[in-house]
Amino acid sequence: MPWKSVRAPTSSSTSTSSGGPVIELANTSLLNPNRSYAPLSTEDPGNSSKGALTVGLPPAWVDVSEEISANVQRARVKMAELSKAHAKALMPSFGDGKEDQRLIEALTQEITGLIRKSEKKLQRLSATGPSEDSNVRKNVQGQDGVDIEMNLNGNKSRVEDDDLDDMVFNEHQLAKLKKSEALSVEREREIQQVVESVNELAQIMKDLSVLVIDQGTVVDRIDYNIQNVATTVEEGLKQLQKVLS
Amino acid sequence: MVLVSAARDYVNRMLQDISGMKVLILDSHTVSTVSVVYSQSELLQKEVFLVELIESTSLSRESMSHLKAVYFLQPTSENIQHLRRQLASPRFGEYHLFFSNILKDTQIHILADSDELEVVQQVQEFYADFVAVDPYHFTLNIPSNHTYMLPAVVDPGNLQHFCDRVVDGIAAVFLAMKRRPIIRYQRTSDVAKRIAQETSKLMYQQESGLFDFRRTEISPLLLVLDRSDDPVTPLLNQWTYQAMVHELIGIQDNKVDLRSLGKFPKDQEEVVLSSEQDSFFKSNMYENFGDIGMNIKRLVDEFQQAAKSNQNIQTIEDMAKFVDNYPEYRKMHGNISKHVTLVTEMSKIVEERKLMLVSQTEQELACNGGQVAAFEAVTNLLNNENISDIDRLRLVMLYALRYEKESPVQLMQLFNKLASRSPKYKPGLVQFLLKQAGVDKRTGDLYGNRDFLNIARNMARGLKGVENVYTQHQPLLFQTMESITKGRLRDVDYPCIGNHFQQGRPQEVVIFIVGGTTYEESRCVALQNATNSGTRFVLGGSVVLNSKRFLKDLEEAQRIARSSTSVV
Repeated sequence: MPWKSVRAPTSSSTSTSSGGPVIELANTSLLNPNRSYAPLSTEDPGNSSKGALTVGLPPAWVDVSEEISANVQRARVKMAELSKAHAKALMPSFGDGKEDQRLIEALTQEITGLIRKSEKKLQRLSATGPSEDSNVRKNVQGQDGVDIEMNLNGNKSRVEDDDLDDMVFNEHQLAKLKKSEALSVEREREIQQVVESVNELAQIMKDLSVLVIDQGTVVDRIDYNIQNVATTVEEGLKQLQKVLS
Repeated sequence: MVLVSAARDYVNRMLQDISGMKVLILDSHTVSTVSVVYSQSELLQKEVFLVELIESTSLSRESMSHLKAVYFLQPTSENIQHLRRQLASPRFGEYHLFFSNILKDTQIHILADSDELEVVQQVQEFYADFVAVDPYHFTLNIPSNHTYMLPAVVDPGNLQHFCDRVVDGIAAVFLAMKRRPIIRYQRTSDVAKRIAQETSKLMYQQESGLFDFRRTEISPLLLVLDRSDDPVTPLLNQWTYQAMVHELIGIQDNKVDLRSLGKFPKDQEEVVLSSEQDSFFKSNMYENFGDIGMNIKRLVDEFQQAAKSNQNIQTIEDMAKFVDNYPEYRKMHGNISKHVTLVTEMSKIVEERKLMLVSQTEQELACNGGQVAAFEAVTNLLNNENISDIDRLRLVMLYALRYEKESPVQLMQLFNKLASRSPKYKPGLVQFLLKQAGVDKRTGDLYGNRDFLNIARNMARGLKGVENVYTQHQPLLFQTMESITKGRLRDVDYPCIGNHFQQGRPQEVVIFIVGGTTYEESRCVALQNATNSGTRFVLGGSVVLNSKRFLKDLEEAQRIARSSTSVV
């Protein structure tokens, strides 16, 4: 071989331990300009040396898939930051901790936003019209869906309210009462947010569960999937013939 | 275990060194080979995003040059032709070709010639030309299985084809295990002898270089048997889980298709019964029906406990735990529905066909003595309106096989009664069976009444009483395996090919039954291996039989035999 393709970031696939997540996580090694890693040779037309064969560019949806992986990666980084921020917020400190709260809120919003964006992109993957590589797309979609779901599990609603400050009544009761009123309004708002994000989580999980394959069932069998492809392709052929005739 | 892991290993090696998005192209045989050892989700992890059959790949025109193609095919001439066309106008970026058996030089030349654009990156032989359904059980899924019953003169072309397929399959098994065996065969079977000879020729002459593995102290043993030596086992009704499902419903490549039994929800139409993937199945596949019922009930109770604790979600932590456990929970739920459905359907069938009644007589015909009582029992069942045609046929066959030579008048009476009761019965089928597999044709001591030792053993067993009257039958294979472990397999009955001879007891044995194996026999082998006697057995056959398949093969052979004699 005149060239050798170097594998991009090695898959950090964690092996399934009994009781852990049923589905494995694997980083795709699709090329992504946003990450930096060792130089590798991409497929260029020169590789099939003497032939007149041109290696075409992958279809557009491959880019979407790469974007999703990039988003997932970014979300993971953000989640690490979030857990650090949480830890910091929980530690006793001077000051009223409002800064930490704001940081946590901002991070949570970002992460949810990233995940939602990824989900929308995932929907787009299936929206484009029927064609031969729809099966490839569906499978890529499924795999990305798995990635996203794994991240969701990590991003459990961490908006735990830990600012249930002790409501201490002292002599300035009236002022304190007003302040505590404001506090409870704010807490209500935050609880609303928690409920909303939990609902969003539920929705995303429901959407993703359709895409993810159950291991050990017939859907996970190669021959079952081939059968279905064969029938769909036959059907497609019949439809085409009907149109053409 | 060794065959499953060998097949998985091959698939892993095909995929691991090729980076990027791949398409896996199989043919109708290799799809079975791969499907029983590798799952779709594992393929996805290896970045195989499309799996196609080679016939469909030929039809399509769309170019997908961002994909690298991995082909895994049997080296047949049809596949080579498909490949020729596809290499001439390639759709994919790279082509990696893997074949499940030995390629002929001419085939390699054809491929090289058609690869004008030099898209082929590698061509390798990965010898997974068998379907490893269980750790110690493989099959070749040969469609024209009935061929083995016919004498060579009837259809020499087909018989050659059949034998070639069997020899190739056996060769692949030994190449995968990296062993070259001593070969013995059943004396009374022409087809077994032929296969043994051709296998020997392949391994020791034609491809002796390929098979020249590091020699172990004691060579492994290949024993080629004929189904006709034990026609009783495939005819019997089964009561242990895996065998029973195959007998009553039917298992193909570890998949069960329930659609023939009625309407089911979409996700229960077809289910998978694989000991590798389903731990409940693994621990219950050889248990009898009564015990399975109890074990399933226990499983359902455990599940209900888990479900109850899931209902009880109060805090965020509970929710988090629920989300974490959800995949496991769903998998358990699906698994339990599957087993409950199977057992329910089988109970229904047992009830409809009165199988407990029928099976009692079957077991007596297979195991105990008493011709008079047997005749009476069979006659009664034949007169019973509720017994189905196939069960009547099986009963008469079992009786005929046992009491072939005793009281021919009564035997004739049974034939007539059978013909009058079952309108679809092909006349002469039982006699055809006797011609194939009657006492004159058999080597092994099927009923334990030939040699003194066996008679004594049977008497002892009869006196001791049986744990479960429905599972008292032991296939002839059990005795054969015992003789092998004791080093007492008689040369007179099972001669060696060539001038190799067996020194000492073999540590690895592959038993191939021409005409097909049964799950009752694979159970026998698995239990034998579990005793760690120092000898490890692997069982293989041309198909996996149940009574329906066995009778179909018999009918097909009879039809062909008849039409050929009428010509002659």
